Amino acid sequence: MKVGVIGVGCSKFGTRDVTIQELAFEAVSEALKDADVGQEDIDLSVVGCVGTRGYELMPAVVVNEYCGFTGKGPIRVEAACATGSAAVYSAYSSIKAGIADIAIAIGVEKMTEVDTATSAAIGGRAGNYLWEFHFYGTTFPAYYAMHATAHMAKYGTTERQLALAAVKAHRNAAKNPKAHFQKEITVEDVLNSRMITYPLKLYDCSPISDGASAAILASEKAVKEHGFDPIWIESVGYSSDTSNMTMRENYVGLKATRMAAEMAYKGAKITDPLKSFDIATVHDCFTIAEIMAYEDLGFCKKGEGGKFVENGESDFGGKIPVNTFGGLKAKGHPLGATGVAMVYEAVKQLREEAGSLQVDLKHYRALTHNVGGTGHFAWVFILGR
Amino acid sequence: MIIESRELKMKHKIPVGKTERFWKGLEEGKVFKTFCKCGKSYYPPRADCVCGNTTEWAEVSGEGVVECFTVVHSIPAGYEWSKPYRIVIASFGDVRIMGWSDEELKVGDKVTLYTAKDGSGVWKVWFRRL
Repeated sequence: MKVGVIGVGCSKFGTRDVTIQELAFEAVSEALKDADVGQEDIDLSVVGCVGTRGYELMPAVVVNEYCGFTGKGPIRVEAACATGSAAVYSAYSSIKAGIADIAIAIGVEKMTEVDTATSAAIGGRAGNYLWEFHFYGTTFPAYYAMHATAHMAKYGTTERQLALAAVKAHRNAAKNPKAHFQKEITVEDVLNSRMITYPLKLYDCSPISDGASAAILASEKAVKEHGFDPIWIESVGYSSDTSNMTMRENYVGLKATRMAAEMAYKGAKITDPLKSFDIATVHDCFTIAEIMAYEDLGFCKKGEGGKFVENGESDFGGKIPVNTFGGLKAKGHPLGATGVAMVYEAVKQLREEAGSLQVDLKHYRALTHNVGGTGHFAWVFILGR
Repeated sequence: MIIESRELKMKHKIPVGKTERFWKGLEEGKVFKTFCKCGKSYYPPRADCVCGNTTEWAEVSGEGVVECFTVVHSIPAGYEWSKPYRIVIASFGDVRIMGWSDEELKVGDKVTLYTAKDGSGVWKVWFRRL
């Protein structure tokens, strides 16, 4: 049974003066309208929310009620920063299993209701609190920063190359009205911004954003019955890695990404990823994360990610445009929303509805790559028209 | 318009009885890992091997090599008492150890470990250059 995405929605990302349920409804109402269905057509609702920074600690039922899905779930899922992908997968697998014909994945996060130091302490708990944050104050940027120092030492990756990933993200976000940041920046802006955790500076880091995204999925049978025009989910890959950073093989890449990509590529019979996709959304919570993603997804060899961005290969007109809507880095990274927003971007691009950010389609295929924590979870979706 | 929620304070009581040797060891200047006769070694230590056996304790010592590091300038809640701090992961044979260091360690540096209290009174692992 094939599963397709029949409707998508995405709120404006940023500091939003609305409650979590109101924010979710912005995305849900857009997705319902996009698919031309009503709440009554949905068999199952999945709410993806990390839910540790907002005043609602168990927000699924609150979100579900406000969106008009009372009685249709909700299933609440959490996979740190990959929560959105886990939500899409829950909806996808319920349809694959024949339990639901039409299901909605709602990804939502309110990140701005607590102060930055509190947010940093919560993010630092996305690994293993007892053995790492408790002793050593390992914040989320710190985990990626450690990968950056390892990558720089082994491959000569430079702070300037990291900065180029941020510059590209901001350039794309400036054309995306839903992005948190609407302003272009220069390499010097990045290099001169204040140090967050060496070597990552303020502009190497994704912002703290509120946001929601929704995707409505349908079975092939429902697609035929209702005459939907879907973007098909061709393949899904997932994996995970140890909660303790000290138990990892190395710090120059994310094994979970490589495993998830391998599974997704196998499922879609992809042998050369660089010649298979018109666009990719990759998990760029920090600039080093985007550089490692190029390598771990097989867009370039290990260690060549810095050159890949430097040569414009991930920009419009390059070998594979990456994060055309601004990425987590500049569009924003509301944890629960991010993975669903990646599907939103892929669907918009594959339908040729991306306006001034539209890529040229040749393969009619897109990849989404969503990481939870620092490679604690990884998801890869392959979508095709 | 913004209103404030009721205050909620959380401080957890963490049961560490199964790894008590490690916690006591820190206060004696020792860092322990565990290992199993099936061949697995664990750091952080755990009492239960995934194979189902109970693990045994062994001290980590000698020379380590820095694999990665960072210096945290954006201080999280719970560490307000600290100035910017350097986190280091170093490999010691079959395990990798996380610790703090007051020295400007770089990837590839050879280090030795010791234990000491931090500014909040918590015993932990520290590294110094060999």
